[in-house]
Amino acid sequence: MTRRILSGVLGVVIAFVVGAIIMLLEGYEPLATYGALAQFSLGGIGPLTTTLKNSVPLVLTGLSAAIAFASGPVNLGQPGQLVFGALAATLGGLYISLPPVLEIPLLLLLAIAGGALWSGLAGLLKQAFGMSEFIVTLMLNMIADFFTAWAIAYPFMDRKAFSPMTPPIAQSGWMPDIGPLNASVLIMLVSVVVMWFVFQRWRAGYEWRITGQNSLFARLGGCDVRGNFMAVMLVTGALAGLAGGLVVMGGPHRFLKGLGANYAWDGIMIAIMANNGLVETLIYGVFVAAIQTGALGMELITNVPSEIAQVLQAVLVLVIVATREYASVVFDRLAARRQARERAT
Amino acid sequence: MDDFISLERIVKVYPPNVLAVDNVSVGFHKGEIHSIVGENGAGKSTLMKLLYGLVPFDSGTVKINGAAVHFRKPGDAIAMGIGMVHQEIELISQYTVWENVVLGAEPVRGLGGTLDTKRAIELVRRKIDEFQFNLDPSAQVERISVAARQKVEILKLLYRNVSVLILDEPTAVLTPQEIPQLFAELKRLRDKGTTILFISHRLDEVLELSDRITVMRKGKKIATVAASETDKEALAQMMVGRQVIFTSKRTPHQRGERVFEAKGLSVTRRDGLKLLDNVSFSVHAGEIVGIAGVEGNGQFELVNSVMGLAAPSSGSLTVNGTEIIKLPILERRKLISFVPQDRGKMGASLPASILDNAIMTHHRLEPRFSAWRGLVLNYRNARAFTDTLAQRFSVQMASRQSPFRSLSGGNQQKLILGRELLLSTPFFLMDQPTRGLDVGSIEYVHGEILSMRGADRAVLVISADLEELFLIADRILVMHRGQIVADLAAEQTTIEEVGRYMLEGKRTA
Repeated sequence: MTRRILSGVLGVVIAFVVGAIIMLLEGYEPLATYGALAQFSLGGIGPLTTTLKNSVPLVLTGLSAAIAFASGPVNLGQPGQLVFGALAATLGGLYISLPPVLEIPLLLLLAIAGGALWSGLAGLLKQAFGMSEFIVTLMLNMIADFFTAWAIAYPFMDRKAFSPMTPPIAQSGWMPDIGPLNASVLIMLVSVVVMWFVFQRWRAGYEWRITGQNSLFARLGGCDVRGNFMAVMLVTGALAGLAGGLVVMGGPHRFLKGLGANYAWDGIMIAIMANNGLVETLIYGVFVAAIQTGALGMELITNVPSEIAQVLQAVLVLVIVATREYASVVFDRLAARRQARERAT
Repeated sequence: MDDFISLERIVKVYPPNVLAVDNVSVGFHKGEIHSIVGENGAGKSTLMKLLYGLVPFDSGTVKINGAAVHFRKPGDAIAMGIGMVHQEIELISQYTVWENVVLGAEPVRGLGGTLDTKRAIELVRRKIDEFQFNLDPSAQVERISVAARQKVEILKLLYRNVSVLILDEPTAVLTPQEIPQLFAELKRLRDKGTTILFISHRLDEVLELSDRITVMRKGKKIATVAASETDKEALAQMMVGRQVIFTSKRTPHQRGERVFEAKGLSVTRRDGLKLLDNVSFSVHAGEIVGIAGVEGNGQFELVNSVMGLAAPSSGSLTVNGTEIIKLPILERRKLISFVPQDRGKMGASLPASILDNAIMTHHRLEPRFSAWRGLVLNYRNARAFTDTLAQRFSVQMASRQSPFRSLSGGNQQKLILGRELLLSTPFFLMDQPTRGLDVGSIEYVHGEILSMRGADRAVLVISADLEELFLIADRILVMHRGQIVADLAAEQTTIEEVGRYMLEGKRTA
């Protein structure tokens, strides 16, 4: 445990050093840049709540990827599932108007259903025809992308807008602010807690975990491997769909072109950084959100382009993953050498 | 006599903390057969691998003819005349014998370095004649027997003028009939001046073959003795650290009703080859039936058919009269306990905790592990169950939450065995239940199997180890090319007879 934290922290520190070297080579001030990055992401209530709100789609899609990868199914369809969830919530918000206590849960359920529908399709294709979910979910991302682009450019387009987008959803479906904090953050935290409980305490979660580690053992042990596969596909699609719904309901309140652009791919990356751990996904998700949020402000006061944040993010992924693997090798070797020295005397 | 090779104060720790070789000093004479014996995990293979330059060691010195040497890779060792044959045979099966032998050290001619086929075959033939190996240099490797392939491995090293041969459990892949021939060849090699270092844990073989024997236990050298001055019991005691009983503790026991029955079971491959050919037999309550046979003669298909991993082409399987062929795995598990041959692949999840591994199958069959109508697992009962299991089957563990991987092989097997035993099923299928275990654990597993028989459960044991079957089984069935070719009462047969059936199948008399 301490080892895991140590290698995580070490990875972040090394990544920042590498990032600093890159900035120096480009002729920027690393310390001032990092200072601005921190100031605009963590420095005060305003930046902090913005960071948290921005972390919602990252954490939820990361959670989706982490649960899928840890349970076996290679669900890479978070981008498609996210836009389908977003579209479902938007349509609900366009045509149904209820008081907020009913409207918000309804739209969230629609978002969940939209995401699960899209991942469920991939699951069904696997069950019926043995088509690999790895490739099917990737292809379905394309279809979802073009389908939603068509939907907001033709049948559901806002005639008054200059670029493809839907009209705004009913105001009762907007995620309210609780003090300075957007309620979508609470939904995210509740999702993490619920999913942790399902994964660690439910019988299904137990079977998912074991199946992800050794599916032959799980099958021989009497686990319902086929049923679990479908359940994991549906649950992880639902999480990505929820992320899409919350993006619409907490932000622009309508489906804009390019809405889902990078959230889901970032989420998959976060799951990889987190080694598919659920709590780690939350931590790294907020961390990446802080860098992305801070980058926008940083661009305002320094002459460093915000793209440097993407460079930093890429370095982070590589270094954190490499450090995790290499640190355990180094720790083990050091322990071995210590013991050998004791025995030799 | 002076030591030709001496290892001095060698220490090897496998990261993070497996002390494989603990300050070992040992010397080997020129032209002797020196066996290294010890249980699995005693460090004998590691010791030889670091002499061969395959594994780096942490401290100590290796000397040849009194001069310290340092091998960074096996090539360095071969250049100094030391070669090693590994347990698994590593040849290119599509190549001929001579091609495999010269590979990497081919005789060439001309500037371009074209392979001098004629000379290569001649060189290989000369080596074969010199050591009387009885091999055809032009035979394709996939068409020759396992014993012959092993000879090719040895020949490869002799071709490179190796004067020290390390053999890592070479008899493990041989049938009882092939072993004396190998031994005769090894002795001939020794008489020509080759030093042979022979790793084994089969004491009878070691005593027959060696000049001197070094015993290792838990990474330490216990003693080096002359083979003529020791016996099996003394060696076993040094190996295990206590007295070992070699005779069966099997007592007569009345068998009961028929529990398991296979009738006309066949598995046909797509190309028409019968992997299981009309197999019929039964196992009764209070009876241990052993299946002997060289691996790959249908045992795998039998296990898959019984466990539900693959459907047989035809036939029936019943447990207590219930036809199981169409049942899902979970339903079968209510009737069948199963100990697979490969712990890490079928018997457990290595990264999962000990607790997670302990409750597998129980988590579905027993209501005490469920709460909220089966939605949530009752971890309090699961923890108690894991502790009981560990205690009842003496599993040594740091904590319930440690990864399964952290357990030793013996403890892993005890946990799996215990988990399956506590399922309280009428029929027990065990596939190589003691493979890779140390003597102490083997004794333990055998004891548990015998007490299951005492509790009137029906037990089917598949094993490649004939001695094991003779220790525990009431009846021994021999599988050969997918068929059961013999059904012998253990009291009325011999290892030699079973071995003959294994090799030749039904005698065409």
